[in-house]
Amino acid sequence: MVYIDTWDEFVDRSVQLFRADPKSTRYVMKYRHCDGKLVLKVTDNKECLKFKTDQAQEAKKMEKLNNIFFTLMARGPDVDLSEVTGKEQMETQPVKKGRGRKQ
Amino acid sequence: MVLLQLDPFLNELTSMFEKSKEKGSVWVTLKRSSLKSKLQKRKLSSAGESIEYRCLIRATDGKKTVSTSVGAKDHQRFQASYATILKAHMTALKKRERKDRKKSTEAEKKEGTSTTTKPKKL
Repeated sequence: MVYIDTWDEFVDRSVQLFRADPKSTRYVMKYRHCDGKLVLKVTDNKECLKFKTDQAQEAKKMEKLNNIFFTLMARGPDVDLSEVTGKEQMETQPVKKGRGRKQ
Repeated sequence: MVLLQLDPFLNELTSMFEKSKEKGSVWVTLKRSSLKSKLQKRKLSSAGESIEYRCLIRATDGKKTVSTSVGAKDHQRFQASYATILKAHMTALKKRERKDRKKSTEAEKKEGTSTTTKPKKL
């Protein structure tokens, strides 16, 4: 099992893995309250990426990753992701003109 | 394998977390699926229709498994409820107390956050 050390690397590689094979890639989360441990796994049945933690701050990051995966899986792997603001689709361009920006 | 609607699934997930507080784990799996057999898929693609994909979510506590599928319309609502449940139950995780092992990774993160926050210049 490949345990990734940094969160960002785990996220990047997981998204890459999913985009390469959306049909067989799955994301698994295991939480043990008694041990206070959280383990994440992303695999396409050929390659496996794992991340484990006992930190609360990483749980917050995991929530963002959950959102990413939900969007990717429900809408499709071609969805354009903007992790900070939210999920935007490549087809429907967001009509957010005139947001008070100085011209 | 029990396939439920969104809200009953969330209720079951909550009760699984509560049951597993003393011992045991909760597994949640996310996978993309169209929920159609190969035959149906072939028919749809030959007819020129696009296959609607959904996100299949499974939750188990080792004994009981529940599942639900979320489409593009429901996923944001589900996402919000799911995040709330996780936040409420993942209370056993440490809050940045250990500085022995995590020192290097935390230092990296701190550096990372400091560089990303840019001061706004008007």
